Amino acid sequence: MSSGALTNLRVVELGSGVSAAYATKLFADLGADVVKVELPEGDESRHAGPFPGGVPDARASGLYLYLNANKRGAVLDLRREQGRRDLGRLLARADLVVENFPPPELSALGVEPEALRESRPHLVATSITPFGLSGPHRDHKAYDLNLWNAGGVAYLNGGGPGTDDLPPLATFGHQASFQAGVNAAIGSLGALLARRRTGRGQTVEVSVQECLVTILELTYPFWPYCGLTASRLGAKPIQPLDFFECRDGWIYLCAVEEHQWRSFVAFLGNPEWADLEIFSDRLQRGANWDALQPMIAEWMAEQSVRELYSALQKRRVPVAPVSTMADLLDSEHLNARGFFAVIEHPKGGSLRVPGAPFVLSRTPWRLARPAPELGQHTAEVLGESAAPEE
Amino acid sequence: MTGVDRVADKPLRGVRVADFTWVWAGPFCTQQLAHLGAEVIRIESASRPCVTRLLPPFADFQPGPNRSGYFNQYNQGKRSITLNLKDPRAIDVARRLIACSDVVAENYAFGVMGRLGLDYESVRAIRRDAIMISLSGYGRSGPEKEFVSYGPATVPLSGFSSVTGYAGHPPMHVGISYGDPTAGLHGAFAILAALWHREETGEGQYIDLSLWEASTALLPEALLEYEMNGRPPERSGNRHPHWAPHGVFRAAGGDRWVSIVVADDREWAAFCSAIGRAELGGDPRFARAEDRKRNEDEVEAVVAAWTSEHSPEEATNVLQAAGVAAFPSMSNQMIAEDPHLNGRAFFADLPHPEVGNRKLAGVPWKLSDTPCRVEHPAPCLGEHTRQVLEEVLGYTAAEVDELTSAGVLS
Repeated sequence: MSSGALTNLRVVELGSGVSAAYATKLFADLGADVVKVELPEGDESRHAGPFPGGVPDARASGLYLYLNANKRGAVLDLRREQGRRDLGRLLARADLVVENFPPPELSALGVEPEALRESRPHLVATSITPFGLSGPHRDHKAYDLNLWNAGGVAYLNGGGPGTDDLPPLATFGHQASFQAGVNAAIGSLGALLARRRTGRGQTVEVSVQECLVTILELTYPFWPYCGLTASRLGAKPIQPLDFFECRDGWIYLCAVEEHQWRSFVAFLGNPEWADLEIFSDRLQRGANWDALQPMIAEWMAEQSVRELYSALQKRRVPVAPVSTMADLLDSEHLNARGFFAVIEHPKGGSLRVPGAPFVLSRTPWRLARPAPELGQHTAEVLGESAAPEE
Repeated sequence: MTGVDRVADKPLRGVRVADFTWVWAGPFCTQQLAHLGAEVIRIESASRPCVTRLLPPFADFQPGPNRSGYFNQYNQGKRSITLNLKDPRAIDVARRLIACSDVVAENYAFGVMGRLGLDYESVRAIRRDAIMISLSGYGRSGPEKEFVSYGPATVPLSGFSSVTGYAGHPPMHVGISYGDPTAGLHGAFAILAALWHREETGEGQYIDLSLWEASTALLPEALLEYEMNGRPPERSGNRHPHWAPHGVFRAAGGDRWVSIVVADDREWAAFCSAIGRAELGGDPRFARAEDRKRNEDEVEAVVAAWTSEHSPEEATNVLQAAGVAAFPSMSNQMIAEDPHLNGRAFFADLPHPEVGNRKLAGVPWKLSDTPCRVEHPAPCLGEHTRQVLEEVLGYTAAEVDELTSAGVLS
């Protein structure tokens, strides 16, 4: 059986929460040997949930189980000399360390990326911090919600015209941290590829805020290109691009190209209003959406999401269901592709989780072991690193 | 100009990418490779240019294929050639480009690359160790593989909208076509992993990346809530399952907001002192996290009463000084003018032949020894056609002239 693309890499993860853990998960799922180092109190995602029965249990937090499958876990007290010495032993054999302690903790623990590389020229040391390792906001404290706002994504999401009393809206989960995690994985693997040529590692500094500024789509350049502020309160210039409630759920209609709109109104039986001048092109439909939306909505209310999805897709109109979690887990398409993986965990039980985010034809994505119990592999990994280098 | 030396140092020096992608997911993927020093050559069509060339914002409101901020943001450091792929002679040019490329990237609708004779089997016949990636809404297998996918629709499809929104309100979007950058980044990582594997074994491979799957991979808490407890999380605005306050609060001065998060009792006490309401730190209604969650409306009223009298920046400074996580909700203008981001030299501000200097987002990671920064602005449409054909593919000037007058290079 073929092995993963990154099987010969050794990775150490330091810190807590989502960003570093997701970066190293991407490595672990392709076969890298990842040792997750936790402080004695354990990773914060052990307390994030969700939990079976809603009862907090640090051994059964869904977020932790998802992020840390395929890794081994060690507990090192980095606040003590012994813990730092043990970390040194792990790093002596590692190719990459990814950490997400915020700057004040990096210096308190003496684990700044530069410090970790001292006398280890081969090591790639990646730090993920809210605002980077320099600049006036370096030491600012920030959780995921603060960062989603700092990066400008939240300011773009909200209810549209007439909803100025509603705040900029977060996206579900820990999206700022996930984005930073993938960016850190790219920078880290880039640095490892560079090492093949230079023979040397280096530090990789990732700012979560900056990662988010790179994903603002066409909204960010409205300032440097036109001097315009992009906001969630404006109307969409083109339509339909909106949610509708059907009789059994919600659907998203995206029919902005002329041929898509024609196919859509043909499917509706070409109602008279479809020929009105005020709906004659997508800009008109955007400008007069307050008149058009109710007519589509009235028709949608009678429809079934599944039937509409399939019927309109057959006519090449890009509609999509507003998938619920049940829809996702039951999706014939995702299941035919083998997307979901199953985590077997002594406390969490047998759980379906998202599997490979991409399919590599020769080097499989694989779930080989459940997330570690706190300190489960401490002795094992320290024992290995005590052995002489081969 | 020392740019050449810096390029030579970058991690992907010598890696060439034949980039057949368009719109956002694909170009964002190859943008990462360009940042890392790969030579990315976009294959475009003059009659049907990249969608983003035709979308605003256009510099100073003057439309033009080289004037779009959307295109110019996500194609920095790449080259552009134009090929009329309806002409078999253009396909021949594309095949010659593939023969000398390490990576082939595409995100066309299902079946397009096959019809052009450029699917993975064909690519592999041209170059055995090629790494090819297809980015698509649904992936290249499965019963819905031929469905039409548009960026904005991937957000609800992948589950984000059903769990994102204000409490008691309809499902909401993310505000951007979130599946696109998510797919682009995962795709870039997958390509790097495939390059690593090729270095080890000499083998290339094919990467099938679905925007839907890469997106759903970022929703584990919601899926596991359902899997463990048979119910999805409810839409709850900016609130957190365990912490309060956890929100975005109106500040003084119009549509201005500040995000504030209190994660534990110590931070709550610090927050109360910082806003001059130290007595609330000992108030039993708010003493522990569970209490604050139970009385969250009251907690939020306390916070909002205070923030409404301060600008987001003032509120942030006061709270950060007390060790409480706060930050303004940033608009694009605030981001462009932010002293912190400018001080870190985050922005790429290179002269573009048609639009001049415009401050665009740069590279969000800094490599200490092989620096990755944007070296060139986004290409004008077809700017490098002749250069690539002659210097990379070995066509003579006369051959390029002939292909040009035959309409092949358009």
